Amino acid sequence: MSGYILRRLAQLLPVTLLASLAIWAMIYAVPGGPVGAMVGENATPEQIRAVTERLGLDRPVLVQYGAWLGKALKGDLGLSLQNRQPVMELILERVPATVQLGIAAILIGLLIGVPIAILSALHPRSRLDRLLSGWSALALGVPTFWLGILLILLFAVELRWLPSASTYVAFWESPTKAISNLLLPATTLGVYVSGIFARFLRASLIGELHADYVRTARAKGLPERDVIGRHVLRNALLPFITIVGLMLASFIGGALVTEAVFTYPGLGRLLIQAISTRDYPLIQGAILFILVIYVVINLLVDVAYAWVDPRIEYG
Amino acid sequence: MTATPPALEVSGLKKHFPVQKGLLKRTVAQVKAVDGVSFAIQPGETLCLVGESGCGKSTVAKVALRLIEPTAGSIKLDGVEVSQLDAEAMRPFRKRIQIVFQDPYASLNPIRTVEAIVAEPLHIHGVFDAMGGNARVGWLLDLVGLSRTMTGRYPRELSGGQRQRVGIARALALEPRLLILDEPVAALDVSIQAQVVNLLMDLQVELGLAYLFIAHDLSVVRHISDRVAVMYLGRIVEEGTRDQLYARPVHPYTQSLLSAVPVPEPGNAGRRIVLEGDIPNPADPPGGCAFHPRCYRATERCTREAPAFAAYPGLDTRVACHHAGPLTADELPAAAEVLT
Amino acid sequence: MSASQRPALVAARRVLAQKSAFMAAVFLLGMALIAFLAPWILPGDPLTQNLRHALEPPSAAFWFGADELGRDILTRVVYGARTSLVTALGAVAIAGLIGVPIGLVAGFYGGWRDAVLMRLVDVILALPGILFAMALIAVIGRSQMAALVAVGITGIPSFARITRAQVLSLRRRDFVIAVDAMGGSASHLMFRTILPNSWSPILVQIVILAAVAILLEAALAFLGVGIPPPTPSWGEMLRTGKSYLYEAPYYAILPGLVLTLTILALDTLGRTLATVLEDRQGSTGEPEPEGQRL
Repeated sequence: MSGYILRRLAQLLPVTLLASLAIWAMIYAVPGGPVGAMVGENATPEQIRAVTERLGLDRPVLVQYGAWLGKALKGDLGLSLQNRQPVMELILERVPATVQLGIAAILIGLLIGVPIAILSALHPRSRLDRLLSGWSALALGVPTFWLGILLILLFAVELRWLPSASTYVAFWESPTKAISNLLLPATTLGVYVSGIFARFLRASLIGELHADYVRTARAKGLPERDVIGRHVLRNALLPFITIVGLMLASFIGGALVTEAVFTYPGLGRLLIQAISTRDYPLIQGAILFILVIYVVINLLVDVAYAWVDPRIEYG
Repeated sequence: MTATPPALEVSGLKKHFPVQKGLLKRTVAQVKAVDGVSFAIQPGETLCLVGESGCGKSTVAKVALRLIEPTAGSIKLDGVEVSQLDAEAMRPFRKRIQIVFQDPYASLNPIRTVEAIVAEPLHIHGVFDAMGGNARVGWLLDLVGLSRTMTGRYPRELSGGQRQRVGIARALALEPRLLILDEPVAALDVSIQAQVVNLLMDLQVELGLAYLFIAHDLSVVRHISDRVAVMYLGRIVEEGTRDQLYARPVHPYTQSLLSAVPVPEPGNAGRRIVLEGDIPNPADPPGGCAFHPRCYRATERCTREAPAFAAYPGLDTRVACHHAGPLTADELPAAAEVLT
Repeated sequence: MSASQRPALVAARRVLAQKSAFMAAVFLLGMALIAFLAPWILPGDPLTQNLRHALEPPSAAFWFGADELGRDILTRVVYGARTSLVTALGAVAIAGLIGVPIGLVAGFYGGWRDAVLMRLVDVILALPGILFAMALIAVIGRSQMAALVAVGITGIPSFARITRAQVLSLRRRDFVIAVDAMGGSASHLMFRTILPNSWSPILVQIVILAAVAILLEAALAFLGVGIPPPTPSWGEMLRTGKSYLYEAPYYAILPGLVLTLTILALDTLGRTLATVLEDRQGSTGEPEPEGQRL
């Protein structure tokens, strides 16, 4: 097991380092190079000299990268160009909002997706099944940003039940406010999650339902509820983890877009704002931060998968 | 005048596959798929290489064709050493040695027409026009008994026998001197098998081809072979002329294989030697003579000492066995099972 | 003489025999045709502004209303299809022309070439596609070309992986070994023997990736980092429409609907294609088509 984790790490580490190198190097590719990125293209020679010295741009390239990475590992991502605040602080400020949105979206996705998966797996190829698989096709096909706009049009513009723009309110501070702010964005993102679960959980449930142990459980006279609850769902944990791994990239992308639709103050919006103001240290910091989170979750998914499935070769 | 060199001569041929494990891909064992095989095939001659699946006979074919690199040993085509040639230097020699595969469907490119498949070797060597172009393709199809209406067909539209004829036509396109026939009829219906074997025998006479015919049992190759070599776990255990090997096998393994061939012969009829156990794991072969755990003649010496491959006195046969000799009458009841 | 059918035609016929795939193909073909013929069949121009008609609701003159600059929304949606089409073609071309050779070489030679190439490809996968594209655009600036290249690069890994898997399975097949035995060169083996037999999963991936590319381009435009205005783009229209939800609620309907239908159609086509080709090829073990959604 630990050998397996080590091997995955050995695969991920060079890729992550290379990606971080690319993120660091992007500042060299912008017009005017790193100095131009810091002071703009119409800077005076004094300004340029000052920035060059302050950032240590006269040092060899690899030394600069090493210094940048070393600082980043200690949590120092530099200062934002916009308001001179530490980038790390700006990022951490936004994390709770994004995490809360993500959790809410997954809950909504499960709430819709799992019952659909179970219903259609119990009656495969029935009319109900076809109707429900239509849902997953739609849920996966509709662009998040259009769905969000439609929801706003219906619930905010027409019915005026919910706000069209959402702010972040911590759930434990005011659950009702948090829910009214989260309901639309979390549903928007959750529909995608529900589609993924409806499609892939259904497939693996059908596989499980026809497995021998289910027939045995039924033959023993176990109530159908227990057959599904105790046996099938537990064995479907494996596909569950697979699905999480499968949807991760799209989920992060979807979260980014959803935040933009609802002008929700999360990490994604921070990044978009940074790009539109050409705040390069903030862009680099945010992307590096998401990269690390993404790689770590991916690794966790792999490890969890190996943990649950004893058939995986660790050797 | 020196005699004509053999069309193919291999000596001391070895192919070991490493078994790797762990993060650093340490080699923990070697599978000795081919472990010291030597034979020569004269021009126009057929050598049959016979053994159970997994004995390494197909690996011999692939190594002889330089499709995989030998671990050790020499490969000579018409007397020229080719085992060390790089891909580019090997190219001209590829015209002299060609292969016909077991599965005639898997061996034909599914998205090419019969015509394109047969012409491909000519194009690869840039001799399509020089060797007659479409006329040569037509001639090749005639040669293997395929109607010209087949030229535009795709492999999936052909029967198994027709596909194998296409495979043979392709192998003959470059006028090779030697064909390696890797169980060419094993995947075909019995009625088609005889047709294809007969075609191969006719082609041999007509074109003066040498064959290395690989088979997993002795019955198929009886008619086509001049000499027969029997392989067990990466080595040749007995080699002799066809008549001698079929009539007077001296290695216990050959004897057991032959007893499985349903040939009505006085005295032997209906008796079958059943070997005990399975083929051992080639990554961990038994010490001494690799055959000893399944052998009815095995003694303590066989567990210690690997027998040398040497001529058997009085016969034109070479054998690797400490206790080589014709099957005796008193062995039969002990070793054979009477079939009803 | 019996007419032999080219395998591609057989597959195409079987795909179109499915009702949903047929409808998807008709929709896509119709849209491409209208987009192509737009200058001849539409009276207006997508860029001409007429502020007197700004945000005018749907009427006989503006079937789907007018935008904030008085431009006909329907016209802009049709011209937006051109943008999407160009992005999809360009991005798929970039992804395929880079990804397929990478997968070919990595799978064919194996060893260190495989390790190095696939690790490089993994770097693209180290970030979700849209983030990777945004990072790239942050560097090279915002333009139609930038959007196209960024979307194309994010598609490289799926082509590389699928081609590599295909090479690995084909490399062991007898008809490939036969070419080896004939003395076929490495490039002959890769480009004449293996690649032509890998078309089916690559084709499926082309269709799937076209959907991903259109979606990604629209998302980038929606985020304000894609194709810059005034080029008509569905994503850009949704972005602007979102600012006028109260004044012109109809603004965002048509571009979103057409975008969704396009993606659903491509998806349906790709999935049917995958089923049909898998069926035909039987044991090759087609790799799953890959593509990130938003």
